[in-house]
Amino acid sequence: MFNKHTITKLLGLIIIASIVLTACGGGEVTATKEAPTTAPTMAPAAEKIITIAWTQEPNSLNRSYSSMWYMSVLTDIYSCWPWTYDQANELHPYLLTELPTVSEDGLVVTMKLRDDIVWSDGTPITSDDFVFTHEMITSTANTVDSAYPYDKFTISAPDAQTVVMTFSEVFTSWMASLWQGSLMPKHILQPVFDAEGTIDTAEWNMAPTVGCGPFNFTAWESGSYLRFDKNPNFWGPAPKLDAIVFQFVPDDAAQTAACLAGDADVCFWPPYEDIPSFREAGLNIVTEPSGYNEGWFFNFRDMASPGIKDVVVRKAIAMGLDRQANTDLRLGVVKVTETFWDAMPANVDPSIVPYEYDPEAAKALLEENGYIDSDGDGIREDHDGNPLTITQGNTDKTERQNYQALAQQQMLAIGIDLKTLSYNSDILFGSFSDNGPAAVGDLDIMQWSDVPYFPDPDSSYWLCSDIPTNENPYGYNYFGCDPTLDALFQEQIVTVDPTAREQIFWEITKYMHDNVYYLGIWEDGDVWIVNPRLVNYKFSGVNPFFNITEWDVTQ
Amino acid sequence: MVRYIIRRLLQAIPLLFIISILIFVLLQSSGDPLASMGGKRITRPEDRARLAHIMGLDQPIYIQYIYWLVGNDWVQIDIDNDGIPDTYGQRKGVLRGDFGDSLVNRGKTALSLIEERLPNTLILMIPAEIIILFFSLLVGIFSALRQYSLTDQVITAGSFIGYSMPIFFVALASMYLFAVNFRKWGLPYLPTVGMFDPKVGKSLSQVVVHMILPIFSMSLVSISGYSRFVRSQMLEVISQDYIRTAYAKGLSERMVLIGHALKNAAIPFVTLVGIDIPFLLGGAVITETIFGWPGMGRLFIDHLNRFDTPVVMGILMLISLAVVFFQLLTDIVYGWLDPRIRYN
Repeated sequence: MFNKHTITKLLGLIIIASIVLTACGGGEVTATKEAPTTAPTMAPAAEKIITIAWTQEPNSLNRSYSSMWYMSVLTDIYSCWPWTYDQANELHPYLLTELPTVSEDGLVVTMKLRDDIVWSDGTPITSDDFVFTHEMITSTANTVDSAYPYDKFTISAPDAQTVVMTFSEVFTSWMASLWQGSLMPKHILQPVFDAEGTIDTAEWNMAPTVGCGPFNFTAWESGSYLRFDKNPNFWGPAPKLDAIVFQFVPDDAAQTAACLAGDADVCFWPPYEDIPSFREAGLNIVTEPSGYNEGWFFNFRDMASPGIKDVVVRKAIAMGLDRQANTDLRLGVVKVTETFWDAMPANVDPSIVPYEYDPEAAKALLEENGYIDSDGDGIREDHDGNPLTITQGNTDKTERQNYQALAQQQMLAIGIDLKTLSYNSDILFGSFSDNGPAAVGDLDIMQWSDVPYFPDPDSSYWLCSDIPTNENPYGYNYFGCDPTLDALFQEQIVTVDPTAREQIFWEITKYMHDNVYYLGIWEDGDVWIVNPRLVNYKFSGVNPFFNITEWDVTQ
Repeated sequence: MVRYIIRRLLQAIPLLFIISILIFVLLQSSGDPLASMGGKRITRPEDRARLAHIMGLDQPIYIQYIYWLVGNDWVQIDIDNDGIPDTYGQRKGVLRGDFGDSLVNRGKTALSLIEERLPNTLILMIPAEIIILFFSLLVGIFSALRQYSLTDQVITAGSFIGYSMPIFFVALASMYLFAVNFRKWGLPYLPTVGMFDPKVGKSLSQVVVHMILPIFSMSLVSISGYSRFVRSQMLEVISQDYIRTAYAKGLSERMVLIGHALKNAAIPFVTLVGIDIPFLLGGAVITETIFGWPGMGRLFIDHLNRFDTPVVMGILMLISLAVVFFQLLTDIVYGWLDPRIRYN
């Protein structure tokens, strides 16, 4: 039945079908009818377009459906915030006539909207959009990533330009965690919600062609790029650029190559070892504090090793680590940090004296307190004769593993045996019920990069109520419960007066520093590589693209 | 032959069923898709409960599998979690062509995500495979016919070097040489990343230019390996009596080599290629990642990292189906290459 000719024909047909499929496929661009379905075939010479290499592709362009940093910062481009932060992380009203006012008891926040703000299709932005957004985020019909902190308040719109948020209890960090690019156009999404009972399937989530930022979404090719073109209806200053393309380049080395070759105008967070190549190529390197610090979190829970629970050992560790040597390896792009709040200096007690690298003093401190190497193996023993072995763990990121090797040597020099472990981040941060090593307390010291609710100093890391247990398997206080510290954290949450709150943070930072509950290693700020043809650019740690309307190109 | 094909297809049904169960169970136990949805903090318990309920992740694993397989439009779902069923589900299940909605790109179906990327992968992988096969045969035959000559020695050395180099090294080295340094030196250069320059737009010339480095990287390593295989098979066949007989009968060298030697030497090679081809659909993870090619490999790895079961299941089942199909095709090609093989 199947002779040679038939089989040859079949194979031929398969090859032709593959070619046809190949020719027909690809190039689908996620966009609505109002947007061009493909990128222009040839950009006019006068058009000012820049390309930004972007290592992670967003999973949605509706801020409420994405927790990705790489998505959230894009909202500066096509969406709008009621207030914005500049390069110094100072607040400025954006959609508002002035910064929001707060009632004396801290429970009622009122926002007054400008009367000239419009969506890109010309529809006015009103308080109804805020009420609608709140309703969508808190609706159980929508799979938004998190309803936090919108479920902490009710909202009302007394008139088209006034939004009133009423909290059930004082929530001091609202300004750092609300409305950050999450505003949704009611006139676009309400009909979808009415028809389908959810906005999960709304086309706008993936193609927000109606926005309120200086640029309009125009195209998104999955895995390839995102494009935003100048918004002709923008109510603010007109952008100088015509379009911005975010090209997805997942590999760090390829991102570096794209910037060096000039295929990308801006790169973000390149490997530190590539910095000399950028300098040699004449590219600009811009660093901005983002609130993130790489640091050591000390475990003082019951299951931690006896040594690490002793503040003397923790102080010796702080003095035995040559943190400057490590930052020197990072080619001057980062600096040593001391506290979890170093990027918010107003909240750090100025009397704190950083732990200087002094191995001799560290050894003396341990000797004085009975940690002596009695068997001559280079490792000290405690009062009960147990070797001073400390377990340290982090994710399997290469730079952390490199740092482990450095720290291990430095600890050995003062007689501490540092056992280092590294894990996939899903395993390291697994829940208590999944036996995550951080949650169950297998590690004495944990290292990662983290941030408070920047630029607000609030952090719930050290709250006693967040210790992971069987009853609270997703608790994330992996470190321990100190009633004094817990009381201070609880107090700052309900302190409305900013000056009084800063004072509490001075106490927190001093107390944590004195007890060595946390030790900063290096400032993990944002690093941007910028082609010199780009001018007038600034970056902010909170809103990286806060002055995107000023960006321009010279050639 | 037809009965053979039907029998093989029927055998594939339980096989695919077992594969789907295994993959589903492995994926379910590999990680938590809700863990990273809290942003800077671990997802709050109340958000976790809400999301798990709406997405059906709070159901026992066997129920989740049944819904994935046959859908849930035959059972009433309690949408608002008040203990009272509200409405029938909307999922139709894989057997009716519904692979489910992505947990990561919410609002998009797994199938639509695959449809967006599959053509891009084929655009890259089909030419790459053709080039690999062509040059593997060419180099392998050439080398076999000149065994132990200087040319053979050079090809052998080159093959070992090529095969020893990891693909990421070849990819990055070629990118830095032909895209970065060539531009710096004022020579004609190639683009670094992407399938085309978004500022210029997707055109045939753009795609072709952007394909050169990824295909070069994949081909160099594969040709090095395959050509050795072809060489050894050819060496074995050309020493057989029937080849000598063919020469003795006065057949031309071309006829002997192509019609007799290569045809017989190709049988193990076809097996190898038959195994390879289905995985073309899965894309080339490393090559696509380094060159920023928007293909299936990146889709797979991105969604696997976020435990997006519907998308990952969709890709793996597609590959499983392709494996079954191409194994069948390989068997048919055996019959064409070797008349002694009969399936009835």
